[in-house]
Amino acid sequence: MKEQLNCAMDIGEQLLLCGAEVHRVEDSVRRICSAFGATHTDVFIITSSMVVTVRFDDGESLTQTRRLTNGGTDFEKVHQLNALSRRICAGGLSVEETQAELQRIMQIKTYPFWLECVSYALIAGAFTLFFGGGWIEAAISLCIGAVVRLVILASDRTVANKMFAKFIASFASTALSFLALHLGLVATVDNLIIGNIMTLVPGIGLTNALRDLFTGDSIAGLLRSIEAVLIALAIAAGYFLFVFVGGVVG
Amino acid sequence: MSMQEWLQIIAACIGSLGFAFLFNVRGLRLIVTAIGGLLSWLIFLLSHRYLSSEPVCYFLSATIVTLYAEWMARLIKTPTTTFITASLVPLVPGGSLYYTMAYAFQSDAQRFAEKAVYTLQLAAALAIGIIAATAFTQLIFRFTKRRR
Repeated sequence: MKEQLNCAMDIGEQLLLCGAEVHRVEDSVRRICSAFGATHTDVFIITSSMVVTVRFDDGESLTQTRRLTNGGTDFEKVHQLNALSRRICAGGLSVEETQAELQRIMQIKTYPFWLECVSYALIAGAFTLFFGGGWIEAAISLCIGAVVRLVILASDRTVANKMFAKFIASFASTALSFLALHLGLVATVDNLIIGNIMTLVPGIGLTNALRDLFTGDSIAGLLRSIEAVLIALAIAAGYFLFVFVGGVVG
Repeated sequence: MSMQEWLQIIAACIGSLGFAFLFNVRGLRLIVTAIGGLLSWLIFLLSHRYLSSEPVCYFLSATIVTLYAEWMARLIKTPTTTFITASLVPLVPGGSLYYTMAYAFQSDAQRFAEKAVYTLQLAAALAIGIIAATAFTQLIFRFTKRRR
């Protein structure tokens, strides 16, 4: 039975790391365990840890815990894992088949890095236009967006801290926006910074946190809310640092 | 609708599409997400013609786009989060968050407080809209399942 539980834990872990909601993951793990023959399943998941206990007909029970570290949002994996757990629940999928399928899903690639840079650029440019910027401002914002993605890459490779990445990205986008102002390319920095902030803000993180809170996953909701607030503060700190330094230096 | 407004709607669509790429959304779901982003701002602008309160319009738009996302998720058989996360990005109050920061820096306490409260109102309207639509969909599906 250990293997079945392992499988269910693996699927749950991946779902959560790739950005599925807590109550959905709890539900999936519960269904998978009962499809594998558990008579009773207790699942407790928060954003950083999961505990699952399964009980069987013969009165035996099994418990596993997992510590979850940060992963990136990957909805293709969520989609495939969701399809996999549907198939398990429909029956007719052995543990070996599940493991093989899981192996395949783990190999799924994200979009190439250059496309991520292009996405950052597109988002920044589009939202500069969206918030009332002109075409020239949008074009500059586009360039800054791509550079910001490179800055985040550099931060991930060296410091590897999510908060620091947001901080330094915010600092860099503010600095580059003021550089554009200094060079006389734009009249104000507002729309440039807003466009680039849109790639960083935890807006959806906060929304998901509130959703968790309302669906009854209070602890997960609180953890996510705090994370969202901290990210907002990191962005503000990056902005402030540059504006203060810029103000002092002249 | 004015030229400026159409431009905003297209920008919203591109912004959502950009986030869909970042979140590794693929295939048909990319298009669904982009249309969601377009809808979110279109509905906001349309409702803003009749309702002056922006938070209320945010709420309406978030509700309708979430209903759209829930519906699409059931059609395509994928978790709803896929569509909600990127489609609602145009409603994320990044602009007012920036001005909150800027006023804080200028030590303009009054305008800072106003913008901060306003940002929170928009974020709350967005969240309540999503929750309302999710609850509504669950209700409908429970009801139709029982009938069968």
